[in-house]
Amino acid sequence: MTKASKKYHEFKAIELKLTEESISPHTIYIKEHSVREHTPDKPSGRTLFIINVPPYADENGLSNAFLEAGAVQCVQFCIKPNATVMEPVKKFLSETVNPTFRIAYLVFKKVAYLDKALKLTKLKPMYSVIQEVKIGLDKWIEQHNNSIQLPKTLKESIEVFMKSYDEEIKKAEEKEKQLEQEDDEGWVTVTKRGKVQSFARTEKVESKIMAKEEKNKKRKELKNFYTFQIRESKMKHIVALRQKFEEDKRKIAQIKQSRRFKPF
Amino acid sequence: MVKRDKTSSVSDELDEESTVLNENGKRPADIQSKDGKKRFKTKSLYRQPTVKELNRLQETENLFNSNLFRLQIEEVLDEVKVKEKTAKRFQEWFNTFKQHLLSIPEDDTEYDLTENTVFKHLRVKSPTGNDLIKIKCMFKFHKFQDVEIVGSYALGNSINSRFIVDTQITVPADTYTKNDSVNYRYHKKRAAYLAFIASQLKNLEIIEELKYIYLNGCHTKPMLYVKPTGKLGNSLSVHINLVCDSEAYKLHRFSPLRNNLREAWLFGSENAENNLDVGPPTPYYNSSILCDLTTTVNHEFLNETYVNRDNLKQAVVLLKIWLRQRKLQVSGFVISLFVAYLVQIKRINNIMSSYQIIRNVWIALKSSEWDTKGISLYKGSAPAPSLDEFQQNFPIVFVDKSGYYNLCWDMHKGTYNALKRECSLAIEMLDNPKINSFIPLFMTPVETLMQFDHIIRFKNLSKLKESVLSKVPNTSKINYGVHQLALVTDTIYNLLCRGLGNRVDLILQLVEADFSWPVNKNVDKIKRGYEEKLAFGLVLNSENVTNIVDRGPPANLPESEEFRAFWGEKSELRRFQDGSITEACVWTADSAAERRALPKQIVDYLMKFKYGVPPTQMFHVCEQLDALLVARGGGREPVEEGCVRALQAFDLLRRDLRDLEQLPLHISAVYGVSEVFSCSSGAVRAARCPQHARRRGGSALLKDTPQARLPPYTPAHTAVLELGHSGKWPGDIEAFRCLKAAFNIQIADRLSKQFSLPTQPYLTHVDVLKDGYVFRLKIAHPKEITLLRREMENGVVKYKESEESINLQCETLLLPRLRGALHGLHQKHPAFGPAVCLLKRWICGHLMSAPHFPHVLPELLVATVFVKSAPFEPPAQPRTAFLRTLRLIAETDWSTEMIVLDFNDDMSHEEIAELERKFNERDQQSPAMYIVTAYDGDLPAVWSWASPSREVLARMRAIARATLTYFETALLQDFKDNVLGAFVPSLSGYDVLIHLVSHLVPLAAERIDRIPDIRNNLKPDEVSKSDDGLNEVLPVVEFNPVARYLDELRSAFSEFALFFHDYYGGDVIAVLWRPDIDDFRDLQIANANALKPVDVDGEIKYRVNKEALLEDFRILGRGIVKDITVS
Repeated sequence: MTKASKKYHEFKAIELKLTEESISPHTIYIKEHSVREHTPDKPSGRTLFIINVPPYADENGLSNAFLEAGAVQCVQFCIKPNATVMEPVKKFLSETVNPTFRIAYLVFKKVAYLDKALKLTKLKPMYSVIQEVKIGLDKWIEQHNNSIQLPKTLKESIEVFMKSYDEEIKKAEEKEKQLEQEDDEGWVTVTKRGKVQSFARTEKVESKIMAKEEKNKKRKELKNFYTFQIRESKMKHIVALRQKFEEDKRKIAQIKQSRRFKPF
Repeated sequence: MVKRDKTSSVSDELDEESTVLNENGKRPADIQSKDGKKRFKTKSLYRQPTVKELNRLQETENLFNSNLFRLQIEEVLDEVKVKEKTAKRFQEWFNTFKQHLLSIPEDDTEYDLTENTVFKHLRVKSPTGNDLIKIKCMFKFHKFQDVEIVGSYALGNSINSRFIVDTQITVPADTYTKNDSVNYRYHKKRAAYLAFIASQLKNLEIIEELKYIYLNGCHTKPMLYVKPTGKLGNSLSVHINLVCDSEAYKLHRFSPLRNNLREAWLFGSENAENNLDVGPPTPYYNSSILCDLTTTVNHEFLNETYVNRDNLKQAVVLLKIWLRQRKLQVSGFVISLFVAYLVQIKRINNIMSSYQIIRNVWIALKSSEWDTKGISLYKGSAPAPSLDEFQQNFPIVFVDKSGYYNLCWDMHKGTYNALKRECSLAIEMLDNPKINSFIPLFMTPVETLMQFDHIIRFKNLSKLKESVLSKVPNTSKINYGVHQLALVTDTIYNLLCRGLGNRVDLILQLVEADFSWPVNKNVDKIKRGYEEKLAFGLVLNSENVTNIVDRGPPANLPESEEFRAFWGEKSELRRFQDGSITEACVWTADSAAERRALPKQIVDYLMKFKYGVPPTQMFHVCEQLDALLVARGGGREPVEEGCVRALQAFDLLRRDLRDLEQLPLHISAVYGVSEVFSCSSGAVRAARCPQHARRRGGSALLKDTPQARLPPYTPAHTAVLELGHSGKWPGDIEAFRCLKAAFNIQIADRLSKQFSLPTQPYLTHVDVLKDGYVFRLKIAHPKEITLLRREMENGVVKYKESEESINLQCETLLLPRLRGALHGLHQKHPAFGPAVCLLKRWICGHLMSAPHFPHVLPELLVATVFVKSAPFEPPAQPRTAFLRTLRLIAETDWSTEMIVLDFNDDMSHEEIAELERKFNERDQQSPAMYIVTAYDGDLPAVWSWASPSREVLARMRAIARATLTYFETALLQDFKDNVLGAFVPSLSGYDVLIHLVSHLVPLAAERIDRIPDIRNNLKPDEVSKSDDGLNEVLPVVEFNPVARYLDELRSAFSEFALFFHDYYGGDVIAVLWRPDIDDFRDLQIANANALKPVDVDGEIKYRVNKEALLEDFRILGRGIVKDITVS
């Protein structure tokens, strides 16, 4: 924790090759991952923080590259640095990941490996032969073929999802029911399904109520009753004409600017 | 109202007003007493209105179309007004000029004009050519009295661009003898007289250039063109015309029924002078002399009408601008006289505003019938030839003040029809409140290539003249005399009219025969060097042009004889379904494109049959781009037919879907959203599945063995399904999607069980194969959009647009409606779909495929050309529509103009005004191209929101301009049939080129430079038949490795570079680095991408590692990248 104030220049630059044949590899920047509060998935002392990870690098590749330092426990990729443990949001459709430059947290199995890694001057290439990594045409063919699934498989995944969803709904309902009950101090929370009727708290309903209020207010006003009101409405007509005129003039100026009035 | 201060505006007037007495003659009470604060208030919108202002505001409503229209008229009139400086300079110049001319000495020598002595003596060449050389006559120069300024400058309605001052010299009557009126002797003498004047002027120092020029292209009537020296010469030129003293001849000698040109003379028999036989009437020849005799009367009449009548003058100026933009061969003289005619019959008067006058002129012209019921200015009591007499001898009749001269004697019928048509279009534009009609009426030049759907050009005009003249009866030849071109034009015009019938709305001759030459050059030599051009422009009637059969009269009527004579062997007796037996001509055309090109077939046949002109002698601007409208890969099926076939399959599928049973909710509606549903898809192809494909369920899989060939690219056509109403959809987006997926599986299952169609369900959609086409069905429900927009804020549910919700809304809500409208547009104008294909090919050809130029936008641009076609009618040929779209792209000022696309007049005036207000108030970031459709709702201009970028648009406009010039030269100057070069991109200027392995590129067969695949030259029917057994497996759908590669490139490297590609089989990806690529950057955690450290003078700096990026391009595209070159 002594290295709390760090400058970016404390990153160490090191080249990361895809294979031995790579001529102009990217430079990645590494340092020890140290924040005030470490989360269990990025343990203190064992985690290497890497930025500028090229789009095609994957967990295996990075493990291979740092093999000389020691065995790697896991690698996490993300677009932005994050301190907290990522809660996987439950999504029905898996999101397609498009390759970009990312940052990575590489967790070594032992603390000693990290020190070793920081002392490396050269990394091993991620793969010995390029065929090992699925990229390009091979990847797309595989993705396409994987996207075609038998109806049975699809049905299973749907059932699994719906089951967990139903459970969640049930839980939520039960929770609401509990809230319906009078609590220690005698308060009752009004919910959607409770006995006490209430309106839905949405924008639409709110604006409807506001509009009704407004209308009521307006009904009490008199229009075109006093002389000044009549005068004003006449004036308003002229003002509208004038405004139109000014607007047209502005339009003309605009057309003039683009020299459209030279017909030939 | 009568006179207006052009520069006045309401606020200016107000300042004057405040010091002036008010309308009651009293000083306004409050003005003096008000303090400064109040005065300030008068500038605001709420100031007291003055009478003048009220008047103006009100009269604009009554007398002009709109405020805007009035202001624009004022601006344009100001713009074309002759500058005072120029007028002053000219007056000085003209005084000297006139003095010089009047000081010409008399010449008493008599010359024999048969020989060239007179011209040798004068040291100028004769302005007439060989056709008049054999005329025998004696000539003596009698001095003229005066040089007058006439025409528009004299009347005060001239236009200061290409500004010509007309002057005229009246030739004394003594010059001509009584018999000079016959056999062109008059013309010969007139020419000699002109040469005499030219010889006096040729060394004058205030003249920079002196040339001969023909009056209205009439080759027997030369005049002088004078360009003054110095600055004046830049702003104007002067014409010197010769007219004849009206004393010289009695006008009745030139009545339409009189003959003044003897047959014997014209056909060159030796005893020409002795033959006293009077031939047929020669109205055409007569008019060429009458023209000179009557000018004085008519000019006097004009002067009388126009003097001090500013509104009339303004109206004529506007009409002249309007005519010139349309390149109509109607002279300002005729228009001025027509306006004068309307004044005479009290249709218009000077109290009307210029707007009201032009409107009335247009309405009068629109409903005029000069071809059947001529009009006359003559009001005298003396006997004059009757209108019927004129009508029988001239196609168009508008008789002048003298009663003898037909002002429209040399006007072709085509010109008159075009004029009438333009008038009715003009009225339509004026009455359309949704466009600023001023711009198309007066500001937009009407270009030949844009105006006509079909242009017929003749390659060798002299040969054509010969062949046509050999077939023309002698009476016409005598009438036209030496004006062969006019005769040929009229003859062919009549032939085309008869032959094309109701297939065309307009035939207009396009003659280029006007030229000028220096006075010391021989005209015949010049003529040999100059090529006269004759062409005919056709505006097609999109409904009738595709008729394969021309039905003639029933066989037993006498008319059938005439029909047979006209059509020759093409005419045959046919029995029709309604039982009638008639003569008919049947043409051959299979595809829609061929049917659109039927006029070509007909004209080719008629020209060959009537005049023996072979088709090779003609050049049709017609089907040059049709090569792009066929699927160049297998089948060579025209895209339109392909789309129709796909649509038929879709209709069957729609029926199947509605009939599906055992679904929890029935399918209530099916909408197509892909481009194929508006027939604007460039590459539609029946799917074919290779035999022995690996398969999983009902779908073929890709082979993943190395070196395997990819199956042909099969697109899926997307359609949106609406399900019956149900309240049971879950209120959570993920569960909602899950339920949709369950439906997908059920629909797929039922489709295959009930109709045994091959299907493949996915979580998001269902693919189904129907009659060889793959359709992708997606379930749409408005609740899904609502769920995506839903957000919680302080416990209140709010709805906000997110990117996801907008996308879904576009796809499931807006696009079906828009596609429906576009489909309707295509039904109404069959050229729409193919035109979109052309535009897409062009955009993609120049590497700006989506996302640079998004989908749907090409459709909207082309639709604009159809929906807002002013100043034209909607085009009938895809080429015309395509070129007009290019012009729309190139000439719209996209930063200040928006396009509102209202297909069925759904939008009210207020809505459009509101949109315009929004547009004007928008900030700079909003879209570069602002196109709103009537269906956009809360998301105006949603289709062009994200792209194109300003840069892409600028480039596109530049290319559009270049393409238009290219077409202009290739089609109207050269006779180029292959113009596909305009669709091939230039690869220079890009930083990096990524070459792809061509056989892996989908749609590679569609490439323009690709030689069509002959092996696959099967008819589409045969293809589907031969693969019948395979119609039970879904082929590999929508697998486009290049698109995936581009996606990955853009996702990974868009901050460094832009990637350009041609969707239609481009095997090159062009890369452009962003301009800041070489800058040094700071290394930050969030921004360390692709940086490498470099040592600059001992200091470590960071910059983008371009070499590594190039290697990345290669790595990500492994398998399809062949090579990467850096320029």
